[in-house]
Amino acid sequence: MGTQGCDGAGLRLPLGALVELLGPALLVVVVGLVTTTASPSNKIYFLNALVSVAIVVAIYVFVGISGVLSFGQISFVAVGAFAAGVMAVPVVSKKGVLTSIFPLLRDHSVGNVTSLLLAAALGGVFAFVVGIPLMRLSGLAAGIATFAVLEITHNVLREWTKIGPGATTLALVPETTGALQATVGALVAIAVAFLYQRSRRGRLLRASREDPAVARSVGVNIHLERLLAFTVSGALAGFAGGLYVHLLGSITTEQVYLELTFLTLAMLVIGGLTSLWGAVVGALAVSGLDSFLSQAESGIHLGFKLTLPQGTRLVFLSAIMALVLILRPSGLTGGREFRLPWSK
Amino acid sequence: MTVLASIDLQTLGDAFGQGAIYALMAVGIGLVFGVLRLVNFAYGQLIMAGAYTLAYTSGWPVVASIVACFAVVVALSLAMDRLVFRPLRSSSPAVMLVTTFAVSFLLQSVALIVDLRDGTLGQVASSVAPLNQAIKVGGVDVRKVTFVAVAVALVALAALALVLTRTTIGLHTRAAASDFRTARLLGVRANRVIAFAVVVSGLLAAAVAVLLTVQNPFVQPTFALEDTIIVLVGVVVGGIDRLWTATLGGFAIGFVSVLVNAALPTDKTVFLPSVVYALVIIVLLLRPAGLFAWGRRAAMERV
Amino acid sequence: MPEAAALELDHVEVRYGSVSAVRDLTLHVGRGEIVGLIGPNGAGKSTTLNAIMGLLPARHGEIRLHGQALRRRSAESIARAGIALVPEGRRIFGDFTVEENLRLGLAARRRPYIGDPLAPAFELFPVLREFRRRQAGALSGGQQQQLAIGRALVSRPDILLLDEPSLGLAPLAVDAIFKAFTEISEVGTAILLVEQRAQRTVALADRTHVLVGGELRMNLGPADAENTEKIIAAYLAS
Repeated sequence: MGTQGCDGAGLRLPLGALVELLGPALLVVVVGLVTTTASPSNKIYFLNALVSVAIVVAIYVFVGISGVLSFGQISFVAVGAFAAGVMAVPVVSKKGVLTSIFPLLRDHSVGNVTSLLLAAALGGVFAFVVGIPLMRLSGLAAGIATFAVLEITHNVLREWTKIGPGATTLALVPETTGALQATVGALVAIAVAFLYQRSRRGRLLRASREDPAVARSVGVNIHLERLLAFTVSGALAGFAGGLYVHLLGSITTEQVYLELTFLTLAMLVIGGLTSLWGAVVGALAVSGLDSFLSQAESGIHLGFKLTLPQGTRLVFLSAIMALVLILRPSGLTGGREFRLPWSK
Repeated sequence: MTVLASIDLQTLGDAFGQGAIYALMAVGIGLVFGVLRLVNFAYGQLIMAGAYTLAYTSGWPVVASIVACFAVVVALSLAMDRLVFRPLRSSSPAVMLVTTFAVSFLLQSVALIVDLRDGTLGQVASSVAPLNQAIKVGGVDVRKVTFVAVAVALVALAALALVLTRTTIGLHTRAAASDFRTARLLGVRANRVIAFAVVVSGLLAAAVAVLLTVQNPFVQPTFALEDTIIVLVGVVVGGIDRLWTATLGGFAIGFVSVLVNAALPTDKTVFLPSVVYALVIIVLLLRPAGLFAWGRRAAMERV
Repeated sequence: MPEAAALELDHVEVRYGSVSAVRDLTLHVGRGEIVGLIGPNGAGKSTTLNAIMGLLPARHGEIRLHGQALRRRSAESIARAGIALVPEGRRIFGDFTVEENLRLGLAARRRPYIGDPLAPAFELFPVLREFRRRQAGALSGGQQQQLAIGRALVSRPDILLLDEPSLGLAPLAVDAIFKAFTEISEVGTAILLVEQRAQRTVALADRTHVLVGGELRMNLGPADAENTEKIIAAYLAS
């Protein structure tokens, strides 16, 4: 495999590779279209699913490609969500509700797209800064260190009232994530992930995951490649956080903490840890299941009426997830990218 | 230094007590990891189950209540091995992690449903509460449970050390933790060794359940969840590869947390997690194989 | 009717994925016999031992212990049936004492013993008794190999498999263990010896098989030990 590419970044885009992108992208577009036809009470589930796609794809960019397990990606989602949220709240409301934050934050407000870009930028910068020391680690040490980042982020966001609402709910965030924004957002995440994994650097990182010793011997700087993936992942995660806060119209620190970390990691592993298609399929499948179970708690008709007792949603969700993982550890997609059924 | 001045005898006692309890948890986690190479996120749920058993048997005589607690926890531990660990034995670390994570959430949710049947969240385990009273040592209040915790930890660890070094099953377990493949080649029975580790791990979880409910009799589905996470972090920081480094790591993080909490100015104590986890990151950067790991092991990195 | 040999391999095939590492291998080892297995690197010698021990599945053919087929059993149960493997690289537990290493070997024993259960190891290799409380990692290469063999012997196996025991050993150490093999076979233990030192193996063993590319090429007897041309020809035969 040579490094001559179709453009300066060493991008190789044979037609077969474009299929890899089209599969997930079309699936997302279909979901987006269905969202527009959904009833108002169901819409939230679909929008949630699309935003989940963005988050899980962001996690995949690092965890799936480098093979290093990180529990910290949700801290970038958190940073993005709170940054976008705090800055998007209209100044008039901010002055009354967020009384102790820095004047710089309180007296200014930004528009929708700007808030998303801000979220991505902050996520990326935070990831970069954190990644410089942390990318030297592998295995369990990396897992724990990134988990520590999650804990610190959660703690600081919760207690430092100068940058945000602290332990209280941040509300009055404009709810701009409708079907269009969610779909476009998910597509942006998928496109960025695709471009990265197809680029020379992305392929180098993936190769070094298979065999670090060989990679080092041919001069690959694993630390640097991981840092790049981590930063891209952080930026996408921040961006997804922005989408998330604009979907909910509010955010609390608990919503971007352990449960979301577990859920999104499980989505990735269930879909298939090592492929973009796996990330998308996992996010949509688990979101779908979660929504179905939520609905079932209030009673749905399946030919017969199914009503799950209150609180059983999480039981079934985690039980099904554990089962899938035990029976098919490589995930629903087997860790492979999307391919046309008739191709080799 | 004013920082040191805030660390008095009571704080020191609490630190040892906390460290002792965390050390017991660390052994439970480390034993299963050593033999199965599996980080059991659901370990905290074993403790939770024990605590709930104590709560639901609050009316019973204390000894019976504690025996019930041990029975339930060991049974659950064995069930976990049979249903979750065994199918996962050849999986990748990521899958193992997420699956035990899922089991942890599953058990929490089940507990939630059971707990809510009486209409309120939470149960009270009152039978062992008397241990939470303080007695005066050197003019300062030290809670009885601190002594009990330290004593239990020392006895348990000494007993375990004896079993591991003097008995055949102990020898086989140590060998399996070091090189399972070769151990099996020599005829070591894998299932026996694993059962031993799982049962001992359960016994320790039950003991911790008793000790924790003394300090905090109010039992909820999230009982011991935060402690488990902290101990997991401590175990990796100490060095998960060997049982004694894992135990030291558990003890250390418990001990240090209490001291840091006391040393922080009152308005800044909310940032305790940040301080502790920042320390964790620093230690891991300096010594990724574990703070107490040395020699050949420190150079190798295991997942 | 001749009694069944202690260990029989009957048209055994072992695969790694789609590649056959060992093809159509037939050999037997009788009670008290020493059978050698030599050949170039990658010929499938270690694979054969691992398959006997149940560490690798045999795709075709049968492996029989005292006439009983051994298919699909775990390594630990095969160990407890009376086959002991001294693996490549010795794989002793460096952090344990010599005595603990030996006691580990007792895991596969089939009946209780009278007297010192570690006697077979100590009698064959007195240095192990001398160093019984020392850390195994502190022993020299030759001593560690003796420990590995001793560990396999304390379970009183019927069959002893050895995977390149002389690897990395000084000549004196090699002498010591080859001498030990003779003593071991004299008490009735059957030995299947995989080795790189072709000449010594051919001289020692009752018969030696040459394995090349997963197939048995030639059988040699002790008389061929000095016939280097024949040995080399066997290795190069295609």
